[in-house]
Amino acid sequence: MMPVVLKSAIAIFKRDIKKFLSNPFIILMALLSPIMFLVIFGNAMGGTLTHIPVGVVQEVPPYNDTPLFTSAAYQLNHIDQTDYNNKLLDVTIYPDEATAKRDLANGKLSAVIVFPSSVSNDNAVRVYVDSSDSVTPSLVEGAITQVLQSLGAKNPIIVDKIYGDITYLQFFGVGIIMMAIFTSTSFGGGIALIKDRENGIHEGYLVTPIKRSSIVMGIIASGTVRAFIAGFTIFWVDLLITGIILQSFQDFLLVVLVILIACVGVTSLVVSFASRFASQQEYQAIIGFLNLILFFTSGAFYPVIGMPGWLRWITVINPEYYGVHALRSIMLKNQGFNVIGIDLIALLIFSTAMIILGIVTYRRTLE
Amino acid sequence: MAQGIADKVTDNFTIIRIDHLSKVFASKTKTVTAVNDVSFEVMKGEIFGLLGSNGAGKSTLIRILTTLLSPTSGQAFVNNYDITTDQEKIRSIIGVCPQNYTSDVELTAYDNLEFYGKLQNVPDSILPDRIMELLKMAGLEDRAYMPVGTFSGGMKRKLEIVRAFIHRPLILFLDEPTIGLDPEARREVWQQIMMLNKEHTTIILTTHYMDEAEKLCGRIAFVDRGKLLALDSMENLRQLIPAGDLIEIGVAHMDPLAEEAIRKIDLVNAVSVVEHTVTISATNGSRVITSIIVVFEQYALPIISISIRSPSLEDIFIYLTGKGIDSGNGTCNEADRRKLP
Repeated sequence: MMPVVLKSAIAIFKRDIKKFLSNPFIILMALLSPIMFLVIFGNAMGGTLTHIPVGVVQEVPPYNDTPLFTSAAYQLNHIDQTDYNNKLLDVTIYPDEATAKRDLANGKLSAVIVFPSSVSNDNAVRVYVDSSDSVTPSLVEGAITQVLQSLGAKNPIIVDKIYGDITYLQFFGVGIIMMAIFTSTSFGGGIALIKDRENGIHEGYLVTPIKRSSIVMGIIASGTVRAFIAGFTIFWVDLLITGIILQSFQDFLLVVLVILIACVGVTSLVVSFASRFASQQEYQAIIGFLNLILFFTSGAFYPVIGMPGWLRWITVINPEYYGVHALRSIMLKNQGFNVIGIDLIALLIFSTAMIILGIVTYRRTLE
Repeated sequence: MAQGIADKVTDNFTIIRIDHLSKVFASKTKTVTAVNDVSFEVMKGEIFGLLGSNGAGKSTLIRILTTLLSPTSGQAFVNNYDITTDQEKIRSIIGVCPQNYTSDVELTAYDNLEFYGKLQNVPDSILPDRIMELLKMAGLEDRAYMPVGTFSGGMKRKLEIVRAFIHRPLILFLDEPTIGLDPEARREVWQQIMMLNKEHTTIILTTHYMDEAEKLCGRIAFVDRGKLLALDSMENLRQLIPAGDLIEIGVAHMDPLAEEAIRKIDLVNAVSVVEHTVTISATNGSRVITSIIVVFEQYALPIISISIRSPSLEDIFIYLTGKGIDSGNGTCNEADRRKLP
């Protein structure tokens, strides 16, 4: 005779296994998550930075190129990273220093390298580098040292980190604001819809004349408020912990605007997913997965430029990428609308698409 | 055909017209016909009862009429609006109290009513008064600002019924309004329903309680396994089964020959045997009973119990479906049926 303890334990075991096997979706997501972790996290973090946009320019006068400038520019443009298609730097030759520096300030270039003219006194190679991420400056400096050595040039190198010394903590902290927005909205906006459905509460209001658009927009609005509170709070925490100092009150207002629009974007994404799901378990599986993909491809951890091409396609449709980029531009680089405008437009297009998707896919009946 | 329906629909006394309505739920493993070719009409201002066991298709029918499900085939009109095309118009004239509790338990009674008042487009100027009026109607005015999660089942149900009535709908659908309630709470809910009906609201309720249907409903539709078995007033339904009294005799076992002999007795209209109970319908029960006992003695069948009573709604249901209302799950097979002749 089997002891009662064992019999009951087997009963519990069988019940759980039955439930486990009855939901293939959860099993699939449970398997897919670690695999995606490997593929995305591995590629997003450990990726080699390639195609860093760099501008080279020679001091004037005189107006003719020195041999050093010509060969250094050529060699810089041909530093291989593992294979030919993945060279380290994409070199553009600029006619004058001012234009090159403007493109650096606008984020079009990651560095400007100024070579001395033949009449120069100190012979120094000056490097102006975007220091908003911690990886690019050292890579650019290393490349220049390598090229000068191979050319046998003894010129000193003067590196100017245009945004000062930015620590990894400061770089990463900005990304955490986006993460706070995503987590608070996935527990807030999305789950409210699913809870109603799971508890059968929706049957009560679906028989009223309420429109699908009202349901979806109402949920997105409340989710946005919750997400904003989270994002705004973490913004202050981030300032305190990382010691970032905003340059002006205008920057502060821009940050608030970006956080708000990013909240709308992320919440509408989450709600458009939630409008299809009937159980919290399934929803949480997919949201965990989404959180992983969006956060890792947002550039919060590591510059997006280091990701393989296929992964960078995800960033194009990732609202967190635009959020991180815009916040970083304001908070670390003191840049304005001319740089973040494109991020805001992308976020707004994204939000609109997601709101429409959410409304269209929301099930108005019980079927 | 279409013209004919349209003519009928515009009838001044009809508020709901259902025409050959069917609903089939198909899954990978099996198909279930929840509503099977049902047609009937509901009159303005009546309390209409849908009576049937669990799984008979009552809730599915209500969900189709309240636009939550679309029919597989057939048509239905609610106040002249087609349920497949004019859902929005229907939603604004109906009030629905679903079988499951659908109030938000985290919110207070007042907040729940306010939420539905806004969804039903009740003007803001009258909404607060209307909410207090409804809470009073439900006897919940002292609980107005308490979370619904703290309410008893009866209180929640009463709140849901008045909630369905917040916009004074033309038609009120109540799906099993007294399920799981104690006798006192049931009586209170009944009073509430009768009170709402006095305000010229048509009420359609589903129930599997005979006494509830008998007490509240002007007309009753019997539904079993998705089919409409009978529809009439209580008075007329009584005519369905043979007149007279019902004699129930409890036996250990029954002999078919004895059954035949009883049937031959004068004034006996029908005999049926379900397990250990012989049910005899006779025109004058008390006079016939001695003759019946003689038959039992002849065949040496010991009698365990005897009772004589007038037929109830439950007897009509058993007569129509061949089973008790609480016993079936609506999906038993044909062989289980034993009908009176």
